[in-house]
This record gives sequence, structure tokens and C-alpha cells, in this order.
Amino acid sequence: MLLPRLATLLTSLSLCALAQAAPTAYPLTVENCGSSLTFQHAPARTVTIGQAGTEMLYALGLGDKVVGTSLWFNDVLGTYKAQNDRIERLADNEPSFEAVIGKRPELVAVELEWMVGPQGAVGTREQFHELKIPTYLLPSDCEAKDNLVGADGTRLAPFRIDSIYKGVSQLAAIFDVQARGEQLNQQLKASLAQSIATAKNQQRKDVSALVWFSSAEMDIEPFVAGHKGVPDFMLSTLGVRNIVESDEEWPTVGWETIAKANPTFLVIARMDRRRFPADDYQKKLAFLRSDPVTRNMDAVKHNRIIILDAMAMQASLRTFDGLAQLATAINGYDLSQ
Amino acid sequence: MSRRLIRALLVLLTLTVALIGGVAIGETSIEPSVVLQVLANKLWGAGYVLDPIDEGIVWNYRLTRALVAAACGAGLATCGVILQSLLRNPLADPYLLGISAGASTGAVMVALLGVGAGAISLSAGAFAGAVTAFVLVILLARVSGSASGTGQIILAGIAGSQLFNALTAFLITRSASSEQARGIMFWLLGNLGGVRWPSVWLAVPVAVLGLVVCLWHRRALDAFTFGADSAASLGIPVRRVQILLIGCAALVTAVMVSIVGSIGFVGLVIPHAARLLLGTGHARLLPASALGGAVFLIAADVLSRTLIKGQVIPVGVITALVGAPVFALILVGRRSAR
Repeated sequence: MLLPRLATLLTSLSLCALAQAAPTAYPLTVENCGSSLTFQHAPARTVTIGQAGTEMLYALGLGDKVVGTSLWFNDVLGTYKAQNDRIERLADNEPSFEAVIGKRPELVAVELEWMVGPQGAVGTREQFHELKIPTYLLPSDCEAKDNLVGADGTRLAPFRIDSIYKGVSQLAAIFDVQARGEQLNQQLKASLAQSIATAKNQQRKDVSALVWFSSAEMDIEPFVAGHKGVPDFMLSTLGVRNIVESDEEWPTVGWETIAKANPTFLVIARMDRRRFPADDYQKKLAFLRSDPVTRNMDAVKHNRIIILDAMAMQASLRTFDGLAQLATAINGYDLSQ
Repeated sequence: MSRRLIRALLVLLTLTVALIGGVAIGETSIEPSVVLQVLANKLWGAGYVLDPIDEGIVWNYRLTRALVAAACGAGLATCGVILQSLLRNPLADPYLLGISAGASTGAVMVALLGVGAGAISLSAGAFAGAVTAFVLVILLARVSGSASGTGQIILAGIAGSQLFNALTAFLITRSASSEQARGIMFWLLGNLGGVRWPSVWLAVPVAVLGLVVCLWHRRALDAFTFGADSAASLGIPVRRVQILLIGCAALVTAVMVSIVGSIGFVGLVIPHAARLLLGTGHARLLPASALGGAVFLIAADVLSRTLIKGQVIPVGVITALVGAPVFALILVGRRSAR
């Protein structure tokens, strides 16, 4: 839904952006999440672990530099489908260490630190670096976040959108496509500004929300967005209060607490994963409408339920699509009564 | 007769007070008067006009929780009594037969490997795992067993538990993301948050049935206190009673584990506490243990919801955290009374 608007912006901004950016001077040294990476030339072969990084590289026009992908949460964005079909998918979830190095990558781009952190699910960064394979971690998952504390890491400070722009700029510098990076960041910033402006049209001030990701069992306390993560950033940017106050990334909160807080609207995640029944957004909707307590919540009674792509709830380019979708929905609600 | 009636009334009264306590206290604060009005509305159609959310929370969330907590506590404590008596081992508890380990494996297989592709719930997986583990343990005990075989059952249970725990650990390290592993661990440590009326209709009859079957065999259980041989010399069909009661304990435990996860401590310690206070006669020991387990688990559940505001602690953590010191007090108290 955002793509046509992005396309127009892209054409209008491309000329001035091209003029601003200088080519990368190699050797290039990048400070990244506690490691210092040096590049003698732009990597020709990249393996990605995590969908956010994969789609970011595609958006930078670097699809032909990607030789393997892994850790998918949803289908690839429609625009990149043809591109993505030509590239080998090493694994749906985390790939094995040898599957990654077997591709002889010159760069491994990683979305989530626990994949290559001190207890790396794939391998530690040191293991990769010993083989002279640099690992680039998206700053959104390591800056102001301690991934050794708490199940999904613990944010030490609220998520900042700048960490996404930083990931785009650094990847653009590494691959010597700085103009394209600059241009992409301009588009993202324009999109964000547009979403904020849209949400401002909503007259009522004390708007609150809950973001429900999934639940281990249908009726059990759900995993919901905590106070410092990406979904909370999305809500607060649009002037909406998150009713959850925990600092954990995805805390479990009881339905009793949620129902009593009675948020103005609900956001539920749509995903392709099917490990828990509540992964299916249809089942989430059915629960909300049939449970004797939740069906009496204002948001459910007035059908103020937004179905949001789970990838938009992670730091990624889709976060901006999600913001646009939320803003439009918030603006559309008649909250005068 | 009248003393027995008074005792029965006392048991009912205690249980009712505990249930009302469980309903009145929760994550959020609801006025006690509102709580009573909801109960009056639902039980006697009193027709007070109330916030439907409050009404739903009290009737559908809190009451079901308290009832299932009571049923689980009673069920697990009863199972603890019969296993300790039959196997003549003070360390026997309902999970001795590999049931909780099997339940974990079953739940993990559903959640991580996608067995059943979302159609089978964690509970169903846990129940299947628990029954599988129990059957394996009993087969092992039979194959290796001597005539009486109580030692064999314990050893087979240990082997079975170790095997299934290793399987669970293997599956988790092999394929879990942290979020899923957490969801499963949280559930396995005991959780009453997903409980609704269907769970009540399952848990309460099973607990009552288990208690009735055990009470029916109270004299046989008394005889087993002195060993299987003396029980046999008293004319008790040892094999049949053993199979029936152990099977009954396994089934009750498997049902409870599949509803609320493996809540520890209740089945091990409540029977001992009851024995210390009331002696070893099963006619009194069984109902007392059931009541103690019920009240204890309702209280533990209330604590688990209120100890940290806005967050629920696994009830299994609370049972041990609160239960261990309480049990220590009973132990010490008994000694000084002697």
C-alpha cells in the first residue's frame, strides 16, 4: 500500500540524492556492535541471516550480491519476489554454520544478535572472523540492547528509529552504493513524517493500544509488546499509549489486566509461522470475539482491531509500512462518542 | 456420626472460604462487594447491573482458576498419598512415574516440531506424552520386576524420567527460538492462566473420582503401610490393588499436568504434612491431604498473580518457594510438641 507513494518519492528525490553522496574509499573500517570490520573492497558474495537484512539489501539494489538467505518470518515482499526466487534459501529458520561458510561469503548480514552473539545459534562472531568472514549486525538489535539478559533480550533504552537509518547507511557504505542508501533513508524519513501527520488528524488525545503477538496456548496470558521495543515506538510516535508497562521485549500479561486497561484499539500480528494456535490471526480474532471477557472490551465491541504484519513489529523497512497502516487506521476511527 | 458430619461441614466451609478468597483477589483490584454481586447474579440470578468486564473476570477467569487450582491441588496430593503408601517410599511423588517428564516432551514436540500442525494443543500433546512415558515405565518395571516390584517401579520411573528429560532438552536446544522455549518453559512450570470452564469440567470430576477410588481402598492402603507381604497375608489382592491405584494416580496426574503444567511440591509435601498432623490412617489422611492440597494451591495461585504487579509468576515456583518454609515449620513444630 505504501509502495506507489514510495515510488513517486523515489523519482523526485533521486536526482538530488545522487548529487550528495560520495563513493566509498576502501579500505573501509566500520564499527559494528562491538566489532571493528575492515573491507578492502565491496563484498561480492553475501549470506543473510534474518529477513530484515535480506530485504534491506534488496531495497538497496544489492540482490545480485546475495548468494544465500535464511531465517524467514513471512513471505518476501512482492516487489522482490522475482529477485528472491533466484537466490538459494539456506534454511527457513537459522542455518547451520557450515551451510553459511559453504557459500564462501565475503559478508554475513545478521538481523538478530542471538544468531551470532556470544551464544550464537549459528556460530559466534569470532568463529566467522577467524575464517576472515566479517559479520555485520543490524544496529537495531544491538544498540542500547542487552541480548544476554531476558529471553528475547532487554532494551536498556527505548528503541530509536535512527538505528534503522544507520543500518541502511552502513550497508550502503560497505557496498559502495551510498547514493542509493541516502535515497532510501530519505524515502523512509518522508514516509515516517507522512504517517505522523496522518495520525495527528485524530482529534481525541488519550488513545491507547495493546499489541498482541501470539500466545503459547489459546486462552493463556499472551505475549504482548513491551514498553521499549519497536511496536511501542510505533505507537508512541503516532501519539498512542501502550497499556503495557513492562520493559521486556515481549512480556506475558494476563487478560484480566488487559481487559481492565480497556485500550482504545488492539493490534494483532499476522504471520506465516504456525507453531502455536494463536499464531493465526483468525484464531486471535475468534478468541477476542468469543471470550466472555475480551468480547466486552471497547476495542472488540467497536471492531477497532488492526491486523499488522509481524515483520513490521521488528526493526525493518516494513516498520514504516506498518506505521503508515496504523496511522491510517487511527485516523479512520470515530472516537468522538 | 454427628462428629463426622461436623468434620465434613468444616471441610466444605474451608474450601468455600478458600475459593471466595481466590475469586476476590486477582491481578487487578475489583471491589469485594462487586465480587459478591457477581456471584449472586450468576448463582441466584440476583440481577445487579454490573460492568460486563468485571463480571466476566470474576466468573470466567477467577472462579474457574480457583476451582481448577483446588481440583489440581486435591488431585496431586491424593496421588502423592497413594504412591507414598503403595511404594513405601517417602520421596515418592506423582511425577515419579515419568509423567511430568513425558508431558514436557509431548508439549515440546507439539510446539517446536509442529507435530499436529497447530491442530493439537500443548495440553493434548502433554497428555499423550505423559501416558506414553507412564506406559513405558510400567512396562520396564514389569519386564525387570520381581514379585512385589515396588523398588523396580521407582527405578524404572527414574530411568524413564531421565530419558524423557533428555529428549526434551535435545528438542529445545535443537530447534527452539528463545521466545518459544520461554513460552514452553513458562507453561511447564505451571500456569493457570489459560483455564476456563471446560478445564473445570475436566479437572473437578477427575479429582473427585480419584479421591473416591482411593477412599474405597483405604483399608488396603492401610495394610500396604506394612508392606505388600503383610497386605497379602491380610487377604488383599496385592497385584490388582497396585495396578488399579497406580494407574489411577497416573491418569489423574496426567490430566492435571495437561491442564496446568507440572506443578511441583504439592504432591510430595502435602501428604507428609497431613501425616504429621493427623497420623497414617487413610480414612482421615486422604480427605485431609486433598483439602490441604486444594487450599494450598488456591493460595499459591493468588500469590503468583499478586506478588509482582502486572506480571504472573509460574505457580510451580510459588508452591516450592512458600511451601518449603511452611513444611519446615511443621517439621520443627512436631518435634517440639513431642
